[in-house]
Amino acid sequence: MQYELRTQVIEPRRHTFQNVIDRRGDEPASRYLEGTLDIEPRNVYHYRPTWTAEHELYDPNFTQLLLTDPYSFLDPRQYYYTPYVTNRAAHHDEFGKSLAYIEQRGLLAKMPEGWRSIVGSAVVPLRHYESGGQLVSVAGSRFAYGTSIEQCCSYASFDRIGNAQMLSRVGIALADGTSDMLQSAKIEWIEGAHLQPLRKLTEQIMVCDDWAESLLALDVTDSLLYEVVFRGLDEAALTTGGGAYSLVAQYFTAWFADQRRWLDALVKSWCTDDGHGAQNRQTLESILDRWRGRALEAVMPIAAFIDAQVDGVFAKDLLGDTHAHETDVWNTKLGAQA
Amino acid sequence: MSDITTRQVGIDLQESDDNRAIIDAIREDNPDLTVRRLPGLVKVQCPGRIVVNRETVEDKLGRDWETGEFQLAIVSCAGNFSEWDDDQIIVSWEH
Repeated sequence: MQYELRTQVIEPRRHTFQNVIDRRGDEPASRYLEGTLDIEPRNVYHYRPTWTAEHELYDPNFTQLLLTDPYSFLDPRQYYYTPYVTNRAAHHDEFGKSLAYIEQRGLLAKMPEGWRSIVGSAVVPLRHYESGGQLVSVAGSRFAYGTSIEQCCSYASFDRIGNAQMLSRVGIALADGTSDMLQSAKIEWIEGAHLQPLRKLTEQIMVCDDWAESLLALDVTDSLLYEVVFRGLDEAALTTGGGAYSLVAQYFTAWFADQRRWLDALVKSWCTDDGHGAQNRQTLESILDRWRGRALEAVMPIAAFIDAQVDGVFAKDLLGDTHAHETDVWNTKLGAQA
Repeated sequence: MSDITTRQVGIDLQESDDNRAIIDAIREDNPDLTVRRLPGLVKVQCPGRIVVNRETVEDKLGRDWETGEFQLAIVSCAGNFSEWDDDQIIVSWEH
C-alpha cells in the first residue's frame, strides 16, 4: 500500500483588507499598513463644523502644508497601537529601574547644591512645557489630514504625558517621596524669571491656528531645549557631580531621537511632494523665520540659569552651537530638495 | 562574477509579520526573484544568487536589524551562504 503525501494549498480569497488592496495589490501586508492606509473618512460628512464653515470636518486645509496624497508619508517606526505601547512600556520600565536605583541610594539628594537647583528649578518645571506640547500634538491628531500623520501626532501626545510623568517622578524622588518639589516647580514655572520666556512661547505655540505650524514651532523649541537640558547637561553632569541626573536625562534624549524620526520623515514628505513641494518649502521657511529666533530667546535664559548654578557646564555656548547646527540642518533639508 | 551560474538558489522563510518586511527587502534587492507562499512558509527563489542587505531590511522594518537575526527567519535554504557579514548576506552556489 503506497501513500503519497501532498500539501493542498488553499488560496485565501483575499490576503488583506480592501483599503490596502486598492493601493498595493492583493498581497499580505503589515498590520501597520492595514490599520493606517485610507482609514480616515474623506467624504459623506454629516455637516460642516459650525465654528469654521469654510472647512469640512476633516480637511487638508487646516494647514498650509499640503500633501498630494497624505499616505505618501508613512511612519518610519511603523507604530500602530500594539508596538507603540510595547515600546513605551519598556521605555518607562527602564526609566523606573534607573530611578529606583537612584532613590535607594539617595543619589539625587547627594548631588551638589547647584545641581539640585538645576533639577528643581529648570528641569522639573518642564513638565508644564510638556503639557503644552501635549495639547499641540493633540491638535495635530484632530486636524491633520490622513491617518498616517494623525497617528504619529496621537502617539506624540501620549509621549508628552509620559515625559511629564517621568519629570514628575524625578521631582518626587528629589523631594523624598513628597510632592513639595512639584509645587515649587509650578511656582517656578509661573513666576521664575528664567522660565517666563519659555512659558510665553509655549502659550503662543498653543494658540497658533495652523496645527502643522504649531507642531513645527514646538519641534524647533524641542530641538534646542532637549539638546541643552537633557543631552548637554547629561554630559556635563558626569564630570561635575550630577551623575544621578545623567541617569535620568538619557531617557529624554532617547525619546527625542525617536520623536525626530517621524518628524524628519514628515518634513521630507512635505518638501519632496510632487504637487505641493515648492509651495511647502516656502511655507516651511516662513514658519522657521517666525519661530526660530523666538525659540532661541526662550531657551537662552534657562541656559543662563544653568550656567549660574554650576561652573563648567557652558550651557549657553552649547545652546549657541545647537542653534547654529539646527540652522544648517534645516538649510540642508530645505535646500537639498530645491 | 563572470561565470556566474544561473542555477536556482532558494531560501525558505517562516511567515510572520517581521519576516514579511525581510521578504519585501529581498524582493526589492533581487529583481528576478520569484515568491511562492505556502501555509506558514514563504519560498523565495532566484537564479544565481540572493542578496539580503541590512539597510533595505531596516528600512522596511522600521527598526535596527542585525544580519544575525536572519537565523530566526530561515527555515531552510538551497545554496551556500557565500557571504554573511554585518551588512550583507549572499546566498549562491559559489563559495
